[in-house]
Amino acid sequence: MSAFADLEPYVEAFKARPEAAEPAWLARRREGAIRRFSELGWPSRKQEAWRFTDLRPLQRVSFPPAAGACRASAADVSPWRYPAAGHRLVLVDGAFAPELSVIGDLPKGAWLASAAETLRRRPDLLEPALRETDTIGAQPFVALNAALFADGFVLALEPGVALDRTIEIIHLGRAAERSSQLRNLIQLGAGSRATLIETYAGEGAYWTNAVGVVAVGAGAALRHAKVQDEGAAAIHLAHNRVELGRDARYESFVLSLGARLSRHDVHARFDGEGAACGLFGATLLRGEREGTIASVVDHAAPGCVTREYFKTVASDRAHGVFLGTIGVRPQAQRTDANQLSKNLLLGRRAAIDTKPELEILADDVKCSHGATVGDLDDAALFYLESRGIPVVEARRMLIEAFAAEVIERIEDDVELRAHLGRHLARWLAGGAG
Amino acid sequence: MSRPATVKNAETLRDVAGEGYKYGFVTEIESESAPPGLNEDIVAFISAKKEEPRWLLDWRLDAFRHWRQMAEPHWAKLRVAPIDYQAATYYSAPKRQNAPKSLDEVDPELLKTYEKLGIPLNERAALAGVAVDAVFDSVSVATTFKDKLAELGIIFCSFGEAVREHGDLVRQYLGSVVPPGDNFFAALNSAVFSDGSFAYVPPGVRCPMELSTYFRINAAKTGQFERTLIIADKGSYVSYLEGCTAPQRDENQLHAAVVELVALEGAEIKYSTVQNWYPGDAEGKGGIYNFVTKRGACRGANSKISWTQVETGSAITWKYPSCILEGDNSVGEFYSVAITNNLQQADTGTKMIHLGRNTRSTIVSKGISAGRGQNTYRGLVRIQPKAENARNYTQCDSLLIGHKCGAHTLPYIEVRNPSARVEHEATTSKISDDQMFYCRQRGLTQEDALSLIVNGFCKEVLKELPMEFAVEAQKLLAVSLEGSVG
Repeated sequence: MSAFADLEPYVEAFKARPEAAEPAWLARRREGAIRRFSELGWPSRKQEAWRFTDLRPLQRVSFPPAAGACRASAADVSPWRYPAAGHRLVLVDGAFAPELSVIGDLPKGAWLASAAETLRRRPDLLEPALRETDTIGAQPFVALNAALFADGFVLALEPGVALDRTIEIIHLGRAAERSSQLRNLIQLGAGSRATLIETYAGEGAYWTNAVGVVAVGAGAALRHAKVQDEGAAAIHLAHNRVELGRDARYESFVLSLGARLSRHDVHARFDGEGAACGLFGATLLRGEREGTIASVVDHAAPGCVTREYFKTVASDRAHGVFLGTIGVRPQAQRTDANQLSKNLLLGRRAAIDTKPELEILADDVKCSHGATVGDLDDAALFYLESRGIPVVEARRMLIEAFAAEVIERIEDDVELRAHLGRHLARWLAGGAG
Repeated sequence: MSRPATVKNAETLRDVAGEGYKYGFVTEIESESAPPGLNEDIVAFISAKKEEPRWLLDWRLDAFRHWRQMAEPHWAKLRVAPIDYQAATYYSAPKRQNAPKSLDEVDPELLKTYEKLGIPLNERAALAGVAVDAVFDSVSVATTFKDKLAELGIIFCSFGEAVREHGDLVRQYLGSVVPPGDNFFAALNSAVFSDGSFAYVPPGVRCPMELSTYFRINAAKTGQFERTLIIADKGSYVSYLEGCTAPQRDENQLHAAVVELVALEGAEIKYSTVQNWYPGDAEGKGGIYNFVTKRGACRGANSKISWTQVETGSAITWKYPSCILEGDNSVGEFYSVAITNNLQQADTGTKMIHLGRNTRSTIVSKGISAGRGQNTYRGLVRIQPKAENARNYTQCDSLLIGHKCGAHTLPYIEVRNPSARVEHEATTSKISDDQMFYCRQRGLTQEDALSLIVNGFCKEVLKELPMEFAVEAQKLLAVSLEGSVG
């Protein structure tokens, strides 16, 4: 199969888009982006960033944009709801579903709406979410997203605005052989503060292609959780670009449980001194699923702190991948960065690939990384069995403890911690490896 | 009044650059060289010059044809000036009317060079307890201790001699670990290799002395392409030392060696390298390009291969001594110190491929970057599905001296068996002001303090070196970094 033969349906879909009353700048960027996508084609395994990812499920079928093809009911949404959420925005097949959403009261200076609505009422907010990286960058899926996206969510806080209640975004995928091209924007002005949880779920063989652009202003703080529990036949690709200003704080927790093929890319850059970035995640894989976490942290400013902790559990014939790069530029003195990849390999035919990378060009730095791969600890298993716990239960407990360590990094938000813990327990109840 | 440390570093680094290369001297010897360029005729010329059998010529030509199909690799974190492979000379031999029958007949110029290098030929060799198969610009000139080794059935000779006298052994193992088409530089070596060393240790024999070869690049514009093949038969043990210094010159010299190790059941090979080739001047001019393929196969059960390297020289180092752990319970080890100063670049590491049951590997890598040096550790640990209970432990530490250098760590960990335990740890740090201050207030000079700290940092690796080498390596570390902290 030629790698380029199957780009055509996407280019066709781009041409066939209904004439939308979009601003001229957006039309130009979309044109540039689809051109870029055609130039790049599908990533190949010869490219370093994609060498461990098998994209055949994505290439075998074409996934034209779904454009709100299916509907969902409140009952479809309810299992995914976060009980402590104060504001909820639901998107079905990549289109805003107002009847399922409860935006609620927002303080002055806070904007939370769908991307389509933002484009109509506040296009100035969305413009920064579409940048040259879409048209000249080397990420074909980001370029495709820029060309095709119809909706997503936008959270914008003016300086000093603090949202006390958690924002919840639920993305449901339902249309088979269709794609949700989501463009999400989070923009936090100086000194603002928010907590946001994104949930991706659904059923069927669809493709979610989400691109998030996150800007955390000077002294602002964002806690960004994500539960990825897409349908077992679905494909999930997400790419988040994060920029941190002076003394900004960004924390992300990614729990990946679903999808036959999933990949979460995060690219964080420090632009101001004294900022901190925490990237935490657990990926649990069974069956023949394939899951990748790819992170790049770019220390472009001095005195910033990175904490990265990712865990993967691969059972049956699953394949887990971690690719992590921490780069320290010459000017980024006093960087303190730490990266840890821990992996449980449970299946005889399962596989783990991990590649934690450090690229350091400054000398006054404290950088370290570590990686481990192994099975459950025999001694711990024996201890539990000697206490009368059946082996299946004992294994489940140990796997849960292994994965939960990442969730426990969430400080002072008991509800969020409990919510992610419930998702984890539910996955484990589905039969651990 | 104290100035910022970085400013002081920059100044003192300039001093190091001015230090010059201690072993920089060129011996005037006429060499009998092939015309520059590379084609099948040159390959045939080399083979004919060396009076090789037909099978080896075919093998070389096969490698050459592979090479022509291959592209130069560019994945390493190295900036390499374009290499014109057609401009290099692929064969040069010290001129000799008649083959020397004893040391007296050896060109006195050559002997002087050895003396400057401190190679213990004749009696000094006996005192030092080292058998030297000295490679001077591609052709082996003298071999010592042969008789003593021969008593035990150990074969240690130049590669050319091995081809002539132990053709079957060479034919059986040559290319069995690094096939002729393995990679661009290995293919090039396979086509044009001039000479090298061959060692065979028969079953159950423990080689009583450390085998050692001193390599030395001499004739201008000549790349050197050694081929080393070491076979440790069942239950045997051998320790091999490789050390190098090269004369100072202006042109970049290409060096693409291949080393193949084969350890059969219960055998152990310890391979130690001190590499101190000319690294280029302060502007990065001159200096050796070192593209080496080193690989060992633990073929039999309970075999062991251990690589230890101290890399202080070369403008560019591209080198990944690897172990293929085929036999059950086999062990692979890699201990490395790599220093880059001025504009040196090193992309080095190892590959541990676990195939057999209960295979174990250990990787300890220490990278030191100073000046504008770029130092990359690149390693692969791969556990194949049948490698039950495989274990790997990896530790990579980087030390940065000065703010214009870089240290990079790129480990690949690929695990296909759940019973494996793989651990990787890496840290990057600089010499702290506290450490320096402590040493200084105990009366040590800055340079002694640096040497002490760096030697402490590298201790885990240096202790793996044989005695004679360890002493040399410690001196080298100090010389390589002199004055880089201020």
